Amino acid sequence: MSEVERWFKSFRSRQTRTKRTNTGNSFNNSASQNVLTVQFRKRFPRTGRDFTLDITSAIAPGITIIFGPSGAGKTTLLDCVAGLTTPDSGKVVIGDRVLFDHARAISLPVQNRKVGYVFQDLALFPHLTVGNNVEYGLAGISGSERRKKSDAVLESFRIPHLRNRKPKEISGGERQRVALARALVTDPCVLMLDEPLAALDAATKSKIMDDLRAWNAAHGIPILYVTHNREEVFALGDRVLVVENGRIIADGTPH
Amino acid sequence: MDWQAFWLTTRLAVLVAALLLLLGLPIAYWIAYSRWRWKFLAEAVVALPIVLPPTVLGFYVLLALGSRSPLGRAWQSLTGHTLAFTFGGLVIGSIIYSLPFAVQPFAASFALVDARLISASATLGASRLKTFFRVIIPLSLPGLITGVALSFAHTLGEFGVVLMVGGNIPGITRTVSIDIYDQVQALNYASANQTALVLLGISFAVLSLVYGVNRKVGAAWPWK
Repeated sequence: MSEVERWFKSFRSRQTRTKRTNTGNSFNNSASQNVLTVQFRKRFPRTGRDFTLDITSAIAPGITIIFGPSGAGKTTLLDCVAGLTTPDSGKVVIGDRVLFDHARAISLPVQNRKVGYVFQDLALFPHLTVGNNVEYGLAGISGSERRKKSDAVLESFRIPHLRNRKPKEISGGERQRVALARALVTDPCVLMLDEPLAALDAATKSKIMDDLRAWNAAHGIPILYVTHNREEVFALGDRVLVVENGRIIADGTPH
Repeated sequence: MDWQAFWLTTRLAVLVAALLLLLGLPIAYWIAYSRWRWKFLAEAVVALPIVLPPTVLGFYVLLALGSRSPLGRAWQSLTGHTLAFTFGGLVIGSIIYSLPFAVQPFAASFALVDARLISASATLGASRLKTFFRVIIPLSLPGLITGVALSFAHTLGEFGVVLMVGGNIPGITRTVSIDIYDQVQALNYASANQTALVLLGISFAVLSLVYGVNRKVGAAWPWK
């Protein structure tokens, strides 16, 4: 048994779970409006040992932690949902929208998947102001409408005063909020966060997660939060999936 | 001092730099982001003018533009004359000659743009075109400026290709470098020196201005 499995044995694990989503549908019903269903395999040929990512799970609205050591495949999992990496087989479905289905040769381009993705290094556009970063994904609406939406999301993350600053002029915690705001202002169907709070102190992390939870209470989408930090699992997750060597080895609630 | 030659050379260099910006961007984009396994062959073709003797390149361009080639015949049927020994022919020859001086800095700059920024742009719903113009181009400015400047300066000093393709016709294809050569052949060293110094001064001024501006534009990802 690996160290990760031993650690997880200390949790109370429930194999099946019924949870009311905001729409009132059951957790296990993938026709539910906001449930993300993933079931895919991806093989990575490597010298020495091939690596296979083999993931099956249904993820309801709320915060789901993806926990595991470095190299477990957590970031690749997110990339497969986002469409940045194409699995070899399987499907990715959110509600009744099929993002990827190998058997039916469906693979929506990244641009059309409406996923919010906060990358490990945030990937804020360094040449754009905070305001322009946040408005980047708002296309096809008027300038005043764009401004209204960006103002609202900047307010909800308590950073309206940073609108005209560039990313290099603000702190690490503020950049995290901008990255979250940029991902969420587009009303994504699912939000994915790749170790977003790794470099921050506990107090800042806690405040940002409070803002995110408050936002999600109003919007109700699945949030995949990748971390290898055990403290974050306890502090943040409604549910945790433990990933090791490309597989989910445990699934339950932290307490 | 042959000011007609200077004016002609400047027009040629500006036109070639502008056209290479338009032509070079899609070629550089493909070189930077294509995963075609034989891409290295295309890169070698683009880089050829760096190592090929200018007279060799000029010779083949002359043949391609002349009345014995399909291209030359087609042009002749449209316009009544070939492009050989015309300003248009000089432009074509110069574009080929200066192509790697534009494409290589463009491609190098594109390849340096953080891939995660391009991924972020895609996840935010941006098409490849929008990502190119709103993320890749602004973050590649130093490379673009370098490519434009090098192709301008390289065209200013062309000799072999220009002589082969243009043929030294005053006011039409006699560039400054050919004028200097003529002056030296005629033993007018003073006149040749005057012209050469002016060309040197212009080239140095253009490059200094460009690299000075390049410094201020700065690095793309300074606070990581």
